[in-house]
Amino acid sequence: MNRMVNGAIRIVLIAAVFGGCAADPASRTSSGGNGPSEVTGGNSMDSVGSAWFVERAAALNLDFVHFNGASGHFYYPEILPPGVGLLDYDNDGDLDVFLVQGRMLGPDASVADALLPPTSASPPTGRLYRNDLEIGADGNRSWRFVDVTEQSGLTADGYGFGVAAGDIDNDGWVDLFVTSFESDRLFRNGGDGTFTAVSDGAGIEARGAFGVSAAFVDYDRDGWLDLYVGNNVDYDLDDRTECPNTAGARDYCPPETYGGLPDRLYRNLGNGTFDDVTPTALRHANTGGVSRATLGRFGPALGVATADFDGDGWLDVYVANDGTENLLWLNQRDGTLTDAALLSGAALSGLGTPEAGMGVDAGDFDDDGDEDLFMTHLTTEGNNLYVNNGSGMFQDESASSRLGPGSLPYTGWGSAWFDFDNDGRLDVMAVNGTVVAVDGRDDDPFPYGQRNRLFRNLGHGRFEDVTDRAGAVFELSEVSRGAAFGDIDNDGDVDVLVGNNSGPARLLVNTVGNRRHWLGLRLVGSSKDSPSGHGRDMLGARVAVIREDEPTRWRRARSDGSYASANDPRVLIGLGESTAAPNVEVRWPSGRTEAWDDVAIDRYTTLIEGQGRHLPEAAR
Amino acid sequence: MTFHRRTDRDRRRRRPGARASWALCLVGILSAGCGSGADGGAAAPAGSEAASSPAIDAVLLPPEGQGLLPVAMPDYEQMAEPVAEQMRTYRTAVRVRLEAAATEPEALGDAYGRLGMLLLAATYVDAAEASLRNARTLLPDDVRWPYYLGRVHEANGDLEASAASYRRAVELRPDDLAARVLLANVLFTAGELDAAERMYSQAVERHPDAPAALVGLGRVALARREYADAVARFEQGLAAAPWANAVHYQLALAYRGLGDTERAEAHLQLQGDVEAVPPDPLRQELDELLESANAYNIRGGRALDAGNYRAAADLFRRGLDLDPHDPSLRQRLGVALFQLGDIAGATQQFERVVRTTPEHTEAQFSLAVVLADQGRHLEAIEHFSTVLEHDPAYIQARVQLAEALARAGRPEEAVSHYDRILALDPSRQEAVYSAAMAYVRMERYDAALDRLERGLDANPEDRMFQHALARILASAPDDRLRDGERAMALLEPLLAEAPDLSLGETTAMALAELGLYSQAAAVQRDILEAARRGGLAEAVERMTGNLALYEAGRPSRTPFTRAELP
Repeated sequence: MNRMVNGAIRIVLIAAVFGGCAADPASRTSSGGNGPSEVTGGNSMDSVGSAWFVERAAALNLDFVHFNGASGHFYYPEILPPGVGLLDYDNDGDLDVFLVQGRMLGPDASVADALLPPTSASPPTGRLYRNDLEIGADGNRSWRFVDVTEQSGLTADGYGFGVAAGDIDNDGWVDLFVTSFESDRLFRNGGDGTFTAVSDGAGIEARGAFGVSAAFVDYDRDGWLDLYVGNNVDYDLDDRTECPNTAGARDYCPPETYGGLPDRLYRNLGNGTFDDVTPTALRHANTGGVSRATLGRFGPALGVATADFDGDGWLDVYVANDGTENLLWLNQRDGTLTDAALLSGAALSGLGTPEAGMGVDAGDFDDDGDEDLFMTHLTTEGNNLYVNNGSGMFQDESASSRLGPGSLPYTGWGSAWFDFDNDGRLDVMAVNGTVVAVDGRDDDPFPYGQRNRLFRNLGHGRFEDVTDRAGAVFELSEVSRGAAFGDIDNDGDVDVLVGNNSGPARLLVNTVGNRRHWLGLRLVGSSKDSPSGHGRDMLGARVAVIREDEPTRWRRARSDGSYASANDPRVLIGLGESTAAPNVEVRWPSGRTEAWDDVAIDRYTTLIEGQGRHLPEAAR
Repeated sequence: MTFHRRTDRDRRRRRPGARASWALCLVGILSAGCGSGADGGAAAPAGSEAASSPAIDAVLLPPEGQGLLPVAMPDYEQMAEPVAEQMRTYRTAVRVRLEAAATEPEALGDAYGRLGMLLLAATYVDAAEASLRNARTLLPDDVRWPYYLGRVHEANGDLEASAASYRRAVELRPDDLAARVLLANVLFTAGELDAAERMYSQAVERHPDAPAALVGLGRVALARREYADAVARFEQGLAAAPWANAVHYQLALAYRGLGDTERAEAHLQLQGDVEAVPPDPLRQELDELLESANAYNIRGGRALDAGNYRAAADLFRRGLDLDPHDPSLRQRLGVALFQLGDIAGATQQFERVVRTTPEHTEAQFSLAVVLADQGRHLEAIEHFSTVLEHDPAYIQARVQLAEALARAGRPEEAVSHYDRILALDPSRQEAVYSAAMAYVRMERYDAALDRLERGLDANPEDRMFQHALARILASAPDDRLRDGERAMALLEPLLAEAPDLSLGETTAMALAELGLYSQAAAVQRDILEAARRGGLAEAVERMTGNLALYEAGRPSRTPFTRAELP
């Protein structure tokens, strides 16, 4: 109680000091043109009390409830979904929402058999919600979501797991990849509010797949977004395996019950099709000329994050596997990637044993210029913090950072590095929900709920669990899985969209971040040949925010990471109390480095590749 | 792996044979007859069970004023019957003592403690905590209760409480290595490196060769980036417990920190997931408590993993006593018997499972492996094929089916399966090699060469592909395929790194292909002598034949004999 009171006092003081954020009137202009285009944000008008995050989904008509189709048969897919997606599908400058949906599983399954029936009478399908955010000249906001699924043509009626977002054809309109049980699907954005399913002709394996997380990444620097799909297990609904616990009570089986499926790397050929380059592009390390027993093995993948882990300017791929070694695919800069996870120190626990890797994110939490890893795990395993030394070698700092101990009671899923309070340091949040029925909840038809956790970065490698100060929404005990992070109300702080298994989607609106200054950047490619007039988001681009007397902060444009979810590709950097307009340097995925000086703060600025001041590429 | 890390995994423990697709109701078919004597003297009085009711069973309420906690019992309907029976017995033992007019605190405490242990073993952690806390209140000097509470708190992620409990256990029994190491582990996990180091050091002082404590000190050093010290400690730990192959990973990271990548990678080759844990009688007592088929399956699985096959077989048999129809137990019993060399016994178990549960893919697979091992390839093929009918993506089954087909003189079919393996898992490059060898069986050396070239493209450092390619380039019957120069170029680095007899044979072939017959003969004589000294009769015969060719100024045109093919 004292901590909550102290937190409330602190927020009042912060508000008194700042009196609100950037006073510029809101405006919205389109991207393109000769200079950076801008979208300004003002104070959030939606703060309620002193809660740092306020749950607003239902109030904003984001009325989605996930249906997992559980009927007492403990079908393995039921325990995994749902991921969630943030994407600006209509290019109106705000983030829209896509949510995957489940359905009944098993032969002759009927909704009447569901333990938790669906809340809608309509057949369950993934839903697309358009964000109708209007910011008036006086800064007042009108905000609601509108279900536009029917008119969008997005027919994601499989048993959905997750979502990845990226512009596969460089037309400036973000496309969607939806992972589902037995039918992953690629949807192309037509630019007119509609999507078209294009998997079959695109060379993406759809049938028999079990993709959970996926990531768009231009691994070969050819300017086209390629696709990495993390596949989970080889599962068949006919499998009658039962997995009782030691007392004989039945529960969901662990992934090692089933065989693994190899992940897939699809190279974008630039003509609407992809080539499965898995056999030739993904190489497991062959140490000393002797094949290890585990060579050639993928694992049950759950989380995928792309970043330049070894600092050579080329994007790598990290895969969190459930119960087996994680994978760190280091880009060899020749069209291939080699797994170096074991030697990197990011494959196993500190005890040398595999853990249940769920969600993962890469970010420079210690401001030393490299990408560190945060990963969520099972109850009693604790979340992991792997600290990068700059060359793709990691040291496990889970214990000393306090991120490990605080997470032991929880099974974590979606997670991300984000600066929730805009003090400049990356904090981390993990959404939780077990995979083992919780004791003592005999009346609960789906007893897997846990509270989510928020950890604030204190600097010097230490974190503090601030969950109890973050708001009533963190007292909810739900079966959380996916989490997407982004500035959904364009007010200069990062909000969180949470997907709950057999529960309502939650929209955690940040009410405190924008009380400090911030820098918003959208990093896009050239729009010169783009039919839409918009460049695409340059996923993987790194930006250095440089200010006098402040450490250089490195951030990355990304939509992957977390768990089965698509994040806001824009970069939002907290500036704390500083009002100085920083200089920024952008390292584009192409290898080109450019600079912009005196970038305006407390607003979003679009930086277009080719329009900055060219800098020599950093020697590697 | 310490108990707290296993808790969730044990709950989620895979059913061995879990790849089967069979309909089997496990809960509710178990016969009665569990270890009701397991309560060790705390048996309930006769007839006491009849007085129980669900409402009474739900919560064990202690009398007021004793500082005891209510214990909320779990729902018996969720449990296997033998476990439920145990629960009722242990619960009754407590209830009887609560209701008795004069009960010695020791007897009540012991009853609470044993109930708490049972609840903990069955992973009902919250109920276990209440019961164990009551035991600790009543028997404050009994080391068992703080020890088990330490595990409870670990399972709940409450490291502070866990450490306090383990600390109490250490106070009560300073020589208890397990409790001291567990305390140190908890302190390490909580980020208290100095305190962890002190505790590991104390453990080493009392037990100088305790691998868990030595490894713990290594972990502390590694966390502090004191790599030389970490190497020393891990090496000591490994010397004391060479079976603890998880230490190789930690040692690899320590060598990496020293910049010794070569040693690091060498240790990574050896790493596994067996941790260095101290002997822990209290944990063992807990592990052996539950009377359920699945509990025996888990215990037997651990023994199997540890290579303790006799114990594993015994545990699986005890599980089968509780559930004779459990195919997983029977299949794993077969595995244990096989490892003990009792092939007939193993086969009998596998056949029994396959007869009653033909869709049990693990048993089908195990039986097929045994048959293949005996050279009964046709029968093995039948069973491998059955596995794949039920589980087409069972890659290992497909690999072994392909091998059996190749050995049974059906190499074309083998190739189709190797191709399917690659489609399922492109990283399985050994399938590329095996397909090449199948083509060699068919004497289709062009196709074999093509596969090997593809394998080498994907794995340029792989000796297997380099050598096989060199062999065909040196001695394929087809003139268009041979290239002695390239064969030698492939062989030279292999010879420099690790020469062996097979490489010697290939080198002789390549020299002969280049017309250097006297050199070829010289090499052949050397390896022939080595083969004779090694008693390798089959190799001697083969090499003698080729030597005669070289001495006659003729090359070899047989890249591989049948015996050399996989």
